[in-house]
Amino acid sequence: MSTGQRTGLDRDSLGWLDELCDGHPRREQAIARLHELLVRVAVHELGRRRAQLGAVSGPEFDDLVHQSADDALLKILGKLDEFEGLSRFTTWTCKFAMLEVSNKVARHTWNRQRPSGDLEWRSLPDTFTPPPGEQLERREQLLALSAAIEELGARQREVFVAIAINGAPIDLVALELGSNRNAIYKNLFDARRNLRRALAARGYPLLSEDGTGT
Amino acid sequence: MSPNPLDDLDALLRAIPGDPGCSEGDGLLDAYVELELAGKDAALTYPGIAIHLRSCPGCRTDHDGLLEAARLFGTVEPD
Repeated sequence: MSTGQRTGLDRDSLGWLDELCDGHPRREQAIARLHELLVRVAVHELGRRRAQLGAVSGPEFDDLVHQSADDALLKILGKLDEFEGLSRFTTWTCKFAMLEVSNKVARHTWNRQRPSGDLEWRSLPDTFTPPPGEQLERREQLLALSAAIEELGARQREVFVAIAINGAPIDLVALELGSNRNAIYKNLFDARRNLRRALAARGYPLLSEDGTGT
Repeated sequence: MSPNPLDDLDALLRAIPGDPGCSEGDGLLDAYVELELAGKDAALTYPGIAIHLRSCPGCRTDHDGLLEAARLFGTVEPD
């Protein structure tokens, strides 16, 4: 970021940027302080995602904390020039910790579940078949949706069933399919749009054109 | 017990035009959260991100975590 761009920054953000610069006499202390902040964020966030992590505690939990904080710190130090000042410096750094925690949680879950074959997300659940008592129109709508899902391309079908129907975390699906969150989200988006159109073509238009509820 | 996603097909099949995907969301998530913390309408400044956060469970989780973290730890000074 240029000197001119820095003029709009708050005092704390300027302080961080100055002290993290190569050659600053307090650079090492600033890096240590930043790492401490990232550790606190990682501890808090991993605690928030406990349900996804499962029974992780002690050294294993600490490893995840420090891996997340260490990797976030490396990325931040390598991208200082890219900080645009659209947020406080600390908010910007917290984002890197958050993305690292996301990545680590997904990988941890995948490593634990993959070998035991627990990733049962590829097939439509029984609840997808409407019970006999269901209203006729609702039954027909679900059957039409089921048929439309079968007509999706293989990748879109797999991603949609895993995430939208079976509730698998998107990052876990990305790891399983050797992809990344953005690409998997694009598959999911296209699947949803195609299914919405297919339902409308079969005579079951949804309430709104795109899901905005308007 | 988790809600059955089939109970709300409109939400299940949400695909709103203007959704920029996860990459843009990642890039500007801190700016979006900063506006929220300031009590401003972040969706007005970044409508694409607002759309994306409604539809992407991964980015929504990151957003919620970042909002909380920035609120709790955002005032740490360099020294």
